[in-house]
Amino acid sequence: MTHPVIVAQLDAYLDGELAAPDAGELEAHLRVCPECARLEQRRRTLGAALREHLPRYEAPDTLRARVRAGLRKETTPVRAVRRGPMAWRALSVAASLAVVAVGSWQLALRRAQGEALADQVVASHLRSLMAGHLADVPSSDQHTVKPWFNGKLDFSPPVYDFAGRAFPLLGGRLDYLGGQPVAALVYGRRQHVINVFLWPTGRGRSAGSGDFTRQGYHVLHWTTPEYTYWVASDLGLAELREFTGLLQRGDSAAR
Amino acid sequence: MESSELERFEAVVLPHLDAAYTLARYLTRDADDAQDIVQEASLRAFRYFAGFRGSEPGEGRAWLLAIVRNTVRTWHDRNRHHAKATEFDEKLHSEGIADDHPEASAVRKSESEALREAIDRLPAEFREVIVLRELEGLSYKEISDVAGVPVGTVMSRLSRARRRLEEALCIVTEDC
Repeated sequence: MTHPVIVAQLDAYLDGELAAPDAGELEAHLRVCPECARLEQRRRTLGAALREHLPRYEAPDTLRARVRAGLRKETTPVRAVRRGPMAWRALSVAASLAVVAVGSWQLALRRAQGEALADQVVASHLRSLMAGHLADVPSSDQHTVKPWFNGKLDFSPPVYDFAGRAFPLLGGRLDYLGGQPVAALVYGRRQHVINVFLWPTGRGRSAGSGDFTRQGYHVLHWTTPEYTYWVASDLGLAELREFTGLLQRGDSAAR
Repeated sequence: MESSELERFEAVVLPHLDAAYTLARYLTRDADDAQDIVQEASLRAFRYFAGFRGSEPGEGRAWLLAIVRNTVRTWHDRNRHHAKATEFDEKLHSEGIADDHPEASAVRKSESEALREAIDRLPAEFREVIVLRELEGLSYKEISDVAGVPVGTVMSRLSRARRRLEEALCIVTEDC
């Protein structure tokens, strides 16, 4: 083993993440190479110092109380009926009201999830516009972009090139939305950037569809049996709908 | 229905509130901000909880930490101007004290102070892998899930972060 290989693998070795044959080879090298052994010693010293000196914090009681109060608020449907002595007729009315309350509570929860996800979508869109963040794989070739996701995601997102319709493909990247890694495809229209986020439908809780506006950005959302789509751009709504129409037609043609 | 969902959430996710708060403290470097982050992240976690199918205790932790990390990111985007100002100060701070004139400060820094300062100066993406690995003991795969980057990236970030911390540490221990 050469020094660069040792340096690259030393951390994985010390973290117990190196496969046994590689670890054996590395240990053999450490026994005969004082220079690498010194590197190892420094890493071990650092590890011990970090464990000794870096505090783990305890969540303060005020925080625990705030979290619990927030959860209670999330789970308590608006109480439509005052408790108290009631005739049986009132009780049956109360029962049907309770059904309505739970139903609309679920609706409200879904809407709140959509709103929260729309916030994240715009934040990701904005982040992608910062220098060097737009694409992990900058390419206008769908046959380069699609295979790039192999091994990075456990699904292979459909990638189209709409250059012929003046929506050229600019590339793809990995992103993170709603607590999971998702595919982000980047398309362009003149100077505008369109981000398409997608993941297999049925993961997370984002069925349905909806339009949102955030800080002047349009966010469009829809679901197909295969994929859940979120699209964000500063492009005008009419042109953006033209684009999503292409995407939806491409998808239904692919099925 | 919702009360059993709440119970499941309390059993699977809430035990990791300390871990969530620790990560938020290191990422924001501020106790009050960390509380706001964890509060917001917990509610987000609950809203997405139906989509979470993990049952292992470790999965609930990695899942909550991923949401905490994303919440910090969104929060930084929202406060970008503020964040820029902080980064600027940081540079001044690090150049003035640690890098150029290590002996200039009259009082010698303790090992623990030196390490904490070095951690605070790390770029956020290095700081998060250090906290997740050294304090939370997450596997590379778990860190990759939380940070949303490939395992190879986790490995190289850890390695580079540790090299920087070693440099900070060896200045105080005079063992470079």
